[in-house]
Parts: sequence; structure tokens; C-alpha cells
Amino acid sequence: MIKSMRRIFFIYKRYWGRLLLAQVLVLISAVTTISFASLNARLVNEGITMGNMEVILNTGMNMFLLALISGLCLAGAAYISVFFAQGTGYMIRTILYRKIQSFSFANYDRFPTSALMVRLNADVINVQNAMLYTTLLTLYAPFMLLVTFVLTMMDAPSLIWILVLMVAVLLTVLMLLVFQIFKAYDERQKRLDDLNNTMQENLAGMRVVKAFVREDYEVERFKKRADALRQPAYAAAFRVAFLTPAMTGIAQLAIALALVVGGSQILQGTGLDVGTLVAFSHYLTLAVAPLAMMAVMMPFLMRGNASAERILEVFDSEPLVQDRELAQALDPEEVQGRIAFENVSFAFRRPDGELAPPVLKNINLTIEPGQQVGILGATGAGKSALVNLIPRFYDVTEGRITLDGVDVRDIPQDNLRQIVGIALQEAVLFKGDVRFNLKFGKPAVEDDVMFEAARAADSYGFVMNLPERWEAPVSQRGYNFSGGQRQRLSINRTLTAKPKVLILDDSTSALDASTEGRVQVAIPAFTNNVTTLYIAQRISAVIDLDKIYLLENGEIIAEGNHEELLATNPLYQEIYESQLGKGVTAGLEVEEAA
Amino acid sequence: MTTTAETKRRKKWALKRPEKAIHTPDDTSQIVRRLLSYMAGGELRSKFTFAMVLRLIALMGETALPALIGLAINVFSVPGGSIAELNRLVILIVTAGLFYLGVSFVADRMWGDLATRASYNLQTHMYTHMQTLSLPFFDSQSRGELMSRLTNDSEVISLFYESAVTDIIRSMLQIVLTFLVIVFIDWRLTIVAILIVPVMLLVMNVANRISSPAFKKLQEDLSELSGFQEETFSGNKVIISNRRHKWTDERNVDLAVQAYDSGSKAFFTSLLQYPLTQALTYLQIVIVLMVGGFMVINGRIDLGTVIAFSMYVGLLAKPVASISNLISTALNGVAGARRVFNIIDEVPTVKDAPDATDYEFKGGHIQCTEVDFSYISGRKILRQNTFEVHPGDAIGICGPTGAGKSTLINILTRYYDIDSGTILIDGQDLTKLTQESLRKQVGVVLQEAFLFTDTVMNNLKYAREGATDEECIEAAKEANAHDFIMNLPQGYDTMLTERGASLSQGQRQMITIARAMIAQPKLLILDEATSNVDTRTEKLIQEGLKKLMAGKTSFSIAHRLATIRQSAKIMVLNGGEIVEYAPHDDLMAAKGFYYALYMSQFKGKAPNNAEVTDMGFIST
Repeated sequence: MIKSMRRIFFIYKRYWGRLLLAQVLVLISAVTTISFASLNARLVNEGITMGNMEVILNTGMNMFLLALISGLCLAGAAYISVFFAQGTGYMIRTILYRKIQSFSFANYDRFPTSALMVRLNADVINVQNAMLYTTLLTLYAPFMLLVTFVLTMMDAPSLIWILVLMVAVLLTVLMLLVFQIFKAYDERQKRLDDLNNTMQENLAGMRVVKAFVREDYEVERFKKRADALRQPAYAAAFRVAFLTPAMTGIAQLAIALALVVGGSQILQGTGLDVGTLVAFSHYLTLAVAPLAMMAVMMPFLMRGNASAERILEVFDSEPLVQDRELAQALDPEEVQGRIAFENVSFAFRRPDGELAPPVLKNINLTIEPGQQVGILGATGAGKSALVNLIPRFYDVTEGRITLDGVDVRDIPQDNLRQIVGIALQEAVLFKGDVRFNLKFGKPAVEDDVMFEAARAADSYGFVMNLPERWEAPVSQRGYNFSGGQRQRLSINRTLTAKPKVLILDDSTSALDASTEGRVQVAIPAFTNNVTTLYIAQRISAVIDLDKIYLLENGEIIAEGNHEELLATNPLYQEIYESQLGKGVTAGLEVEEAA
Repeated sequence: MTTTAETKRRKKWALKRPEKAIHTPDDTSQIVRRLLSYMAGGELRSKFTFAMVLRLIALMGETALPALIGLAINVFSVPGGSIAELNRLVILIVTAGLFYLGVSFVADRMWGDLATRASYNLQTHMYTHMQTLSLPFFDSQSRGELMSRLTNDSEVISLFYESAVTDIIRSMLQIVLTFLVIVFIDWRLTIVAILIVPVMLLVMNVANRISSPAFKKLQEDLSELSGFQEETFSGNKVIISNRRHKWTDERNVDLAVQAYDSGSKAFFTSLLQYPLTQALTYLQIVIVLMVGGFMVINGRIDLGTVIAFSMYVGLLAKPVASISNLISTALNGVAGARRVFNIIDEVPTVKDAPDATDYEFKGGHIQCTEVDFSYISGRKILRQNTFEVHPGDAIGICGPTGAGKSTLINILTRYYDIDSGTILIDGQDLTKLTQESLRKQVGVVLQEAFLFTDTVMNNLKYAREGATDEECIEAAKEANAHDFIMNLPQGYDTMLTERGASLSQGQRQMITIARAMIAQPKLLILDEATSNVDTRTEKLIQEGLKKLMAGKTSFSIAHRLATIRQSAKIMVLNGGEIVEYAPHDDLMAAKGFYYALYMSQFKGKAPNNAEVTDMGFIST
């Protein structure tokens, strides 16, 4: 049990001293609390019953001291457990994050963002709670019970069965209630997620709702889910509320039992005295709180364990692309930029480690230094997979890719990615300002380079129109910019780093044809003709390049420039007609006729 | 997920609708009353009263216990007590205890029921009202933010009902009852026994003043941290390709440290409340025992009373200690409710006129005269547009980004009201028609192919209440969707995951076309999006669209000019104005705006090597 939680404990190797201190404090607090109750007996027996004011005063002062010590020790223990709980959170958040940062694309395919976020959010909090309760309570409840037990054995052994009975009944009732509460909470959470998804979908599809005039249907659907939520919410709420009466009620019944049994003994003169009986009934109430805490702790611990397991699952994954031992860095200044694919095949790996059907088959191509090349194909043809192999976002399954004759797997990743720059399909920006984002690939670069790159990427104009210009704020993921602006900033960012091989992965798809044209003319001028690969679905994006590779189902089925392909390849002709229209000349003939 | 289209809509609105003016804080009691009306109003009133009475009875049982125990102790603490007397008292104690347990059980069930009912009532009220609001309300705010606010608000409101209301009532009743009982037993010892109350209130208030904002700070820090982490995970490719792991790691550590600090403060101050309450309660018990002890020696009271008082101290301390936390829970609920009530009080911006009539279809003749429109007053998006569409004509709309294409569609469907000018549909003024009758006749296929998490069949049936399976399958066939639907694991009964993600973009689009067919609209509006679809799928989609449009007046926004070449007329927008409006061939011959737009796709590689002149596109 709790195997995963125990593994998490490795974090604390350096802090076992504090852990020990916390336990000592908890022990002292338990002993002082019980002693308080036992002094209570003395105050009654030797003070009040005997009429001794001095004893009352002294005992009272001692009790006061004990209360203070107990409080201080508990506060100290609380301080240390908070340190452990928050420390755990901090450690997981940083160590796990660092681990995730070392991941390759393929690792991310296995753990999507949402899965990672669950581990870093909800799971961390679950482990934190479990840690808080374990450090604070694992020993507190047993200590309290033990001390109570020992004192009762010494003073009133004839009443001990009442204590045992009460603990047994309380534990059963509490465990039952608490587990039902947790079950109801889990159910409630599930239904709450359902309800929230319904609302989310409704907001996202508001135009569809209004277009088909289905508001009433939406309300009915929501009401059904809200009603489904009500059941577990009610089951949890009333049991939580009933916990307090259950605990006090049972304790009071145990006291009644003690009174009738102990009272008869006193009246029969068996040696039991009033003070001891009062102290015993005090012990009974004292045993309730730690038992309740223990009952509450168990589900937290189990939840924490399940979360720890999920956290360790990520932690135990290794990055799938790693530097080879003998990898040699290339001098970026010396790189020519000749890219060659030699018999390259590539398949993604399924979660079970098996290879999926290949997405690239026997790719052979050579891109000469300074060439402008287009790769054209439909969604799913394998275009992105092909270029992702060059900067080693994934490694080839078969064959090899060389940069200036060197296998890319023999180049350190960091060095390789400094040479190969890529503007990705999804233009993600980060929270910060425009300058920070544009210099993301090369923070030390001079502003002038960034400005030039901005002119080439056609972002200079709209950035200069912003009130704060290069200091203009960028919100999370860059959503305060339009799709087209984000794409231009993304290209801008890649250009600013001045790569020796430039890849534009469908990164102009949101631009209108005229803007796209301007960008494509400006890029070679800015980069001074470095090797450039354009990935596109639209013919207009590759129409004027040196060479176009037509990719279908993971294979290159044709290559050549626009004119050659238009003349010889039926698929290319089909795409051309569909995208640019059969017989553009139709309108022009009218003009000629006129 | 925020979409580009959403960002676009939001930006247009950014200036017009600043955050709603926040109510002044003195509306708290008013909001509390309004919140309580969902729990105790209408048919729930009698149930609420009854639950209150039950709670009072249960607490009376609990409050009687220490006094009875004190009496029992008296029986054996003074010489000459009888076992029969002891037994009689113990029976009373057991009865009171069981009574307390039993009645509490019933009362807690009732309160749980009332609290969850109240949450349900408020939630559904808000949701039902939200469905009546016009699109400007939804477009003017980020969907993600609205969603997270609503989720969070309903959570704090349910805590208001389930914890704050229930426990404040319980605590108040308990304090009053206990006080009355101890005053009745001995008023002198009562004065000693309640010394702790003001101290406790003060200490807890101070602790709460520290921990409550600390938790708020912790929430903010955690959401900043997870916001950052999420951003870097979804942008991981950019980070990997730019080799910026060091930066992300440093930033992450900074944010995690921040969360550690505020988390430590929040949890420690909140945990501290337990030892504090305990120490203060014990202190009070000691004082009662000491003073009570002296009084016993002086013969003023008996031992049982002193012991009973020491128990009453515990009974009094617990609710007093919890009041401060409960009030802060309640105030959180009030803050959440304030935002929810703002939505409930929001009035739809597009309203049916008092004398509105149902739209009567007479072929689909549309006349727009001098139509002006702006999202932000003073910033016209459409200006002085006058045009006419003849019944059955297919109209293509094109122009650079930001020219007003989508806006034109928004006003033709009356999602937004125009600033000035008139729109006549079949001779009827658009503003004098009921929205429902209009929307039932106007079919819309949107750029974002939105499908619900439901089966394919239910998504199709969404179009029209009472549509049959046969009708839906027929429409799917027409839209070329039938074949791939049959290839899905459960055919038409296949569940579509969130937002139809298990289908390709093209397949989703075909389902939305079939859905539009099932609604049997008389007019059509298409915001076509085929940019991520391969050539063959696009052909299938175009075929479906052609069947849908046959013989109907339609407007299609074109993202690729080839798709609107066959339109009866093409409307070219630039900077909010219609600059050209004619068939394709005429526009090409005119060598104007449309011609330039068209030719720019070829980058000088057009069949006839036609030259392109810069026409001054206004794009954003």
C-alpha cells in the first residue's frame, strides 16, 4: 500500500531531522493534552472535594501551562508539516517540470498538455494534502489513544472497556461516513465536469444554438445534468454536516455509560473516586478528535497515492531523442546547408511502444545549399513529419538524413537546432512583450536584426502601429493577435535567429495571397539565400519556388518546378484546378474579345 | 480553447464594453437576501422553516447534556446518593443523546437538500437566462474567462449554501441556547465562562484576516504558475526548436517559489487556528474550574455544576471559533453571486419589436439601403452599403482580411442590429420580424464546423425538433457524409468526442452541411472553410454545398476565390464598403479590385502572365 507515496519521500532525505522533530512535538502535545485531563482529576479530588484552595490554584496554574505547551507544540508541528507539504509541492513542480522540459516531441505525443497539467495541478495538490496529514497525524492519533489507554489502565482499569467500545464504534461509524463522503465527492466531481462541459459547449456553440433556435433544448439538457449533480452533492453535504453530531453524540453516550458504571462503583465504594471518573469522561472526549482526523486522513492518503503514481509515470519516462556520445558540434558559420534524405522511412510509436504504420516511405531527396524548395501535399500526407526529422524533433525509423554530409544524429541537438530554424504550423507566442517573443531564439541579437527580420516577415508595419510597438504586451499564447499576425510574428521570430537552414511549416496559411507573396519575396533577400523549405497545401505558396516535391501518402510522387509539374503530373493539375480555378482564362477571354 | 475567430470578435469589442461597473460593497445584504430567496423562497419556505425548527430541537438535546451529566455527578460526589437516582439521570442523558443524534440526522438531510436545491435553482436560472442573451454578450468577453468565472462562482456559491448558511444558523442557535442555559444555572459563573468569547472572536478574526487573503494570493500564484506551465507545454515545439529550456526552467522555479511562499503562509495561518482554539478553550476551562472550585468550597454551588460548566465552555467555544471562517466563506459566496446576478440582470441587446410579426417567405428578395454598422461606436465597420439580391441568387463575398465580410453576415441574420439604414427581406423590415421565425428560415454553415459531444444522429437531429432518422440519413447522403458515417465504429450512433475531434475537419464540415439541410432553410449563409481539406474532400464538400444552395438565395464568404467563381454575383468588400458587385467574368474584364485579388494568387505565374497592380487593399 501507498507504494508511490513512499517513493515520493525520497525528496526528504535531507530533512529527516525536521520530520523527527515534528513527531516529537506531536508526542509532547499528546502527552500534555492528556496530562491536562488527568490534572483535572487532581483539581477535583484534592482541591475541590478536599476544599484545598492552594491545590486548586497550583493545579490550575499547571493545567494552564500544559494547555500552553500543548498549543505551542501543535503549532510547531503544524509549521513543519506545512513546510513538508508545500516543499513537496515545490519539489514536484520544479523537478517534474524540468523532466518534462527534457522531453522530445514523441514524449509529448504520449502525454498531451492536459495530461501533464493534471499531474502538475490536481495531483500535486493531492500529494501535498496527503503529505500534510501524514506528517501531522500519522502518530498523533495513535499517541493520544495510547496515552489515554495507559492512564486509564493505571487509574481506572475497570472502565477501560468503555474506552475500547467507544473507539471501535466511532471508528466504524466515521470510516463508513468518510468513505461514503469521498465516494460522493468523486461522483459529484464527475457530474460537475459533465455540467461544466455542457456549459462550455453551449458557449462555444452559441451561434449554432441560435441558428437552429434550440435554446429550449439546451436549457432542458442543462437542467438534466444539474439535477444529476444534485444527488451526489446532497449525499456528500448531509454526511459532512452529520459528522459533528455523530462524533459528539457517540462520545456523550459513552460518557453516560461511564457515569452509570463508574457512578455505581463510587456509590458502592470500590475505590474509584469522583475526580478519576470526571477525568475519564474527559479522556473519552479527547479521544474523539484524533479518531476523526485519522478517518479523514485515510482517503486523502489513498488519493495522494494514486496521484503520486501518475506523477511517477511521467517522471520515469526518458526523452526519446538523445545526443549520441560521440556527437560533434558543427560551426554554424561554416555550414553550407545541403540537406539529403537517404532512403528515409518514419513511423510514429504507439503508446504501447509498437510502431504505427509508416507515415514516410523511402524518401530520397537532396536539397542544394541556397535552394528554395516547396513540399506540397494534403493534410496527413506526411509533410510536417518530413521536416520534423531534420532538426531531430523525431528520429528516422530507417535510412538517414545528412546536413552537409553529416548524419543529423551525430550532431548535438542544441547545435543542430541553432543551425536549422523552423516556423511552425501553429504559431504559438508566449506571454511577455513583442520584443521578448521575437528574440526568443536568440535573446542577445541586436534590435536592427529584429527590425530587418520584421520587414521581411511583413510584421514591421502592424507592430509599429501598436501604441507600445516592440514593447506591446503579448497575452498567453499570443491570443491578442490575429491568426495572420501571429503567423507573421512567428516567421519573424525564426528569421531573427538567422538560421542556416530555414523551414516554414505551413506558416503562411492564414495570410491572404498578396501578403504571402510579399513575405516570400522578402525572405530570401533577408536570409541571403540560405536553404529554405516551404511546406504548404496551397499551390500559391509554392508556385514560384526552385523545386516542388509533391507528397502523397508518405511518398514523393513527383518533383520539379511549377511549369514542369503542371505539364506532366495529373494530381498536380487536379490540385491546381481545384485551388485556382479551371480556366482562369475564362474571364480573360471575355476581356480579349472586348 | 480560444479560436482565432473569437479573438477577432473580442478585439472588436474591447473598447465598447469595459468591465461592468462593480457594485458598491454595501449591496452585500441585498445580495444575501437574493441568494437566500433561492433556498427559502416560494415553495421551499415551509421546508426551510421546518428545518430551522428541527435544528433548534436537536441543539436543545445537545445543550441539555452537560447539565444532566453535572446532576449525575452530583449524585455520587456527595455522600448518600442512590443508584436509582443515578440510573434515572443516565436514562435521561441517553435519551437526550439519542434524541440529538436522531433529530440531527433528519435536520442535516433537510439542510443538505435545501442547500443543493438552492444551488440548482440559481444555476438553472442563470443558464436559462443566458440562453436569451444576444450574441454581443458572448462575443464581448473571452469564452475561457467567462467559463472559468462561472465555474468558480458556482463553486463558492454552493459553499455558501452548503456550509456558510447551514453552519452559521447552527452556530448562532448553539451560542444562544448555551448562553441561556448557563445563565439559568448560575449567572455568576456565566460571567467567568464567557470571558473567552471576545478574545476568541478577536484572535480568529485576526487569523482569518491573514489567512483569507493569503489563500487568495495562493490561488493567483497557482493560476499564474499553471498558466505558464500550460503555455510552455502547448508551445513546447517552439521552446525545443529555440533551445530555451533554461529560461523556462528559471521562470518555473521563480513561480514555484512564489507559490511555495504564499502556500506556506496560507496553510500555516489556517492550521494555526486549531491549536489556538484548543489553547484558549483549555484556558477558559481552567479558569472555570478554579473559580468554580472556590465557589464550591464557599458552598455557593455544587461540584456537578462546575463540571457541567467546564463542558459548556467547549460547547460555546466551538461555534464562536468557527464564526469568523464561516463569514469569510459567506462573503466569498456573495462575491461570486454578485457576478452571477450581473448576468441574470443583463438584458438582451437584440430584442423583438413589440409589434414584431413572423417572417413570411416570398422567394428570398433582399434589399439593403445605406446600411451602417459598428461594433464600437464611432468606428464604422460597414458604411453606406446599398445592394439588392434577387430571389434565388447565389452571392459570393470576398475581400481582404478585416474588410467586413463576417460582419455583413452578422447583420443579415440579425445577430447584431445595424446602426442606420434598412434591410428588407421579401419586403419585410428585418427589425420588425421575430428572431425565431427569421432564424428558422435562414440556414447557416459556419467556418468553425461546430458539433456537439453526442452521437452523429443527435447532431443531425439538432437542426429541427422532430426530424426523423430517415430524413437525417437522406440529408447525410445528399451531403456526401453517409459513406464515412457508415464507416465509423457505430455508424450514426457513434459518439463524437469533444467538439467532434475524432473526425477530420472535412468530415465535420460535411456533417454540418447535412445538418443545415435537415433544417430545410429558405435562405442560406455560408462561411466556407476548406483551407485544411485535401482536394478530393473539398470536391465532395462543394458538391454537398451546391445541392444545399440549389434554387435558394445564398451568401457565401470565400476564402479561396475559386469557390465563388460560379456565383450569380460577387460582392467585393474593402474597408467596409462594397467596391465591386458583379459576376466573375465582368469583374475580371473590369481589371479592378477583384482582378488584382484574383491574380495575386499566381505570383506572376498566371496563364497569360497578366500584370498585377497594387489596388490598395486595406487588410489588418
